[in-house]
Amino acid sequence: MSNGILDIETALRLKGFHFRTPSKVRGYKAGIHKSYYNGISTDFLDHKEYNKGDELKQIDWRLYGRHDRLYIKKFEDEVNMRWCILVDKSASMGYGENKSTKLNYAKKLSATLAYLLLKQGDSVGLLGFSEKDIEFIPPKAGSPFITPIVDKLESFKPSGTTGIKEPVLKALEAYSSEASFVIVSDFLIEPEAIEESLKLIRNSRKEVSLFHVLHPDEIDFDFRGSVEFEDMETNAKVIVDTGSIRHTYKKRMGKFIERLKQICHENETRYVFSPINKSIENSLIQIADK
Amino acid sequence: MNLSFLSPLFLIGLAAIALPVLAHLISKKSGAKISFPAVKFLISSQGDLAARSKIKDITLLILRALILVFIVLVFAKPAVFSFSAAQENTPKSQGIVIDNSFSMGYSNNFSRATSKAQDLIDSLPDGSFVLITSLVPISEQEPSITQDKIQTKKALKEIELSYTFTDNDKRLQDIYTKLQKAPNERKEVTLITDLQKNGWENEGVLRSWLEVIDISENLEASNHAVSQTQLKHEKNSITIEAAVSNFSSDSVKELLTRARLGDEEIREFFDIGPEDKSVKKFNFSNDRREMPSHGSVETSHDKLKVDDIRHFIINDQDQFRILIVDGDPREDSRLSETYYLARALETISELSDTNIFIIDNDSFIDEDLLDYGLIFLANIGEITPRIAKELEEFTNSGGSTVIFLGNRVRAGSYNALLKDILPGELQNIEEEKLSLLPEDSDIFSKDIKEKVNQVKIQKLFNFAPNAESETLISASNNKPFLIKKEYGKGSVFIFTSTADSSWNNFSITPVFLPVIKNIHDFPYLAKSKRRNYLVDETVNIDISQDTESAIVIDPSGQQFKLNIEVPEFNKTGLQGIYTVEQNGEKAYEFAVNIDPKESNLKKTSIPKIESTSKQEGGLVKVFKDIWRYFLWGVVALFVSEATFRAILS
Repeated sequence: MSNGILDIETALRLKGFHFRTPSKVRGYKAGIHKSYYNGISTDFLDHKEYNKGDELKQIDWRLYGRHDRLYIKKFEDEVNMRWCILVDKSASMGYGENKSTKLNYAKKLSATLAYLLLKQGDSVGLLGFSEKDIEFIPPKAGSPFITPIVDKLESFKPSGTTGIKEPVLKALEAYSSEASFVIVSDFLIEPEAIEESLKLIRNSRKEVSLFHVLHPDEIDFDFRGSVEFEDMETNAKVIVDTGSIRHTYKKRMGKFIERLKQICHENETRYVFSPINKSIENSLIQIADK
Repeated sequence: MNLSFLSPLFLIGLAAIALPVLAHLISKKSGAKISFPAVKFLISSQGDLAARSKIKDITLLILRALILVFIVLVFAKPAVFSFSAAQENTPKSQGIVIDNSFSMGYSNNFSRATSKAQDLIDSLPDGSFVLITSLVPISEQEPSITQDKIQTKKALKEIELSYTFTDNDKRLQDIYTKLQKAPNERKEVTLITDLQKNGWENEGVLRSWLEVIDISENLEASNHAVSQTQLKHEKNSITIEAAVSNFSSDSVKELLTRARLGDEEIREFFDIGPEDKSVKKFNFSNDRREMPSHGSVETSHDKLKVDDIRHFIINDQDQFRILIVDGDPREDSRLSETYYLARALETISELSDTNIFIIDNDSFIDEDLLDYGLIFLANIGEITPRIAKELEEFTNSGGSTVIFLGNRVRAGSYNALLKDILPGELQNIEEEKLSLLPEDSDIFSKDIKEKVNQVKIQKLFNFAPNAESETLISASNNKPFLIKKEYGKGSVFIFTSTADSSWNNFSITPVFLPVIKNIHDFPYLAKSKRRNYLVDETVNIDISQDTESAIVIDPSGQQFKLNIEVPEFNKTGLQGIYTVEQNGEKAYEFAVNIDPKESNLKKTSIPKIESTSKQEGGLVKVFKDIWRYFLWGVVALFVSEATFRAILS
């Protein structure tokens, strides 16, 4: 196992945190996630009047003392969770100098998240995608499974165009039961395509979180003079006076981010803004609970 | 308005305009190439900015190119230049001359001229100096050159019509010379005139500084005038011979003309052809006890009233008579020896009561010379002893003898028989091309002296002046041309060449008439008590020995005291009858009339004068620097460029 993309220090700092889904899941094994099935967990859910057949050990005797009626306590069942980390490996993710590319950041984030998820007993799958190239590792539980995940992540090279619908469909096909999706991408596609994909996921009753990975150049557009830009995916070229276009560009990028946030909100999706100069810890903590 | 460059070589710098254009084009194609993920945002952003950016780029390109152009222009020093007409706002020294010769009295020419002058004064740019004066001087003291327009307008009001004319060229030149004292560099003289021909002897002279404004109406001016009156005393009557001239191109019919002598008036109707004159006699009987001292002849008035009347004095003395003896008469009078001489004397006689008689050599023998005041001998071959004796008596008694020589003249005969009266001795004939030089003599005016060198001589008699003689005009090798000798009460003049143009061109030069007039006046003034003068002529008042005080009363009643020592009277600006009083009593009268030449309103050659003023005056380039405006333009463009960039970036 290489330690290149797995940020162990971050993982250790986040050791006390749990990555939970906000809604209940139908886990097949005991874990930290709230289950649809009431049962054995210690989290109190509700009271109900005692009926024949109910277990006596579930009677709330304190309540019986106050109200002189038999109630039984209902508890949430906690189960393990299946995760699918979708990592965008399109050409646009290759932007950045040396190892400070968006893809590298996405790899680190994904590897660390996978490590933490495996540690908390969840099973984790990996799906690297561009529009026409999808690489998939089915979910497995157990810490040792981090190795193939990290190896796969390291093998990702930026290429191809960004496309999210096909990878999502592929993931949905593989995860027919309860699952939580984490998509790590720059999302440089049309917001409508993102919305469509999110709806697909949500309609399948799966949780989803987005890590929006951007390079600071894309946010601040800190270029000088007249520059010819070539699109990393479409090869479209444009010469711009960076000084005169900066304001308008930032405004458009800002609108895009806001639009993405709005789509996520509308689809009960967690959105995490993750510029690559933001630490992995700060990004991951957005979806973690103590 | 024309554009010129004082340093045109700097215009090469205009090639620098290529720099911003190249920079613009290069900036479009160069710059760093960067692979970028979010190009779609750039493209959509540029879509918004494209039009704005294009405008900005082009505007900046234009502004920067203009900055370079303006900088180059500042160094190239552009200047607009214009011809004289474009100098309206430049202070100048302006002479305004109003033609006040009496022809300007025609219609309302004079008032329109003064009105025009007033407009000119008002339109002068501030800082201009102006000298306003009249073409015919009206006082000895000229107005001064001033910047004060009020003073100028005051001087304008004092200008009044004169009854005479002047040498326009000389007068204008004098005014221009006076204008040189003014400080402004640009000096111009504007003449407001009717362009009447008189006074324009050298109308072809180029005067770059002269602008002529023709104030006359474009319609042809028609005028008639009483041009001459001549008195003839007969036994029981006085006949006034009056000439009325028609100066228009249409004939005049039944023009009522009145001759007045005291209470008596005689009327006649004149029919006069175009540009012709008609002479009629008015006969007054002389049977009354007391003869009136003066009279007048007057025609119906036209638009120029002042020449419609002519005054005369009844002079009881003999008329002045001139005898011309032609030694080489021809059937065609134009070829005769005395043709030009007779024409000159006829012109002179229009001004005075003079009768001219022309005879040939044969008739000369029978003529009683003492009846004449002036005798011209033109190329007379033989001088008989009797003629010589009569000429001597004639001269001795106050007459003047003028001798022109020629190929018929026998020098020996002249030298022997006219020895006493001749101012020297005739010698051989010499052929040599000579011009004339004036002697330093007071007899001829300055004008005549200046013009005598126009006379070219091919042949003349060598002449040895004697001690009593005075050479008035010499040829260029100091050979005498006109010599004078006073003999008794009279004078003898001898020209060493011919009266016609066979030996010289004297008779066809402008010198001839003034010289003959000058000679004419010697005996005329001596023999006759002259009583008829022209406007502005100086009158020698006859003063008797016992006179202690004398005054002259002009036609308006104004009295002028005379200096008895020098009894000259020059205030003859008005036409009419002047009265001389001595010791408080009326002594005699004299008449002053206008020069009839001024009645001819024929214009001078306008194209010549106009072309003169346009030819030189129109081509004077006046430069006005405008490079400073471009300098300010550069500053303004820099500011605009910076502001534009700041706003759009």
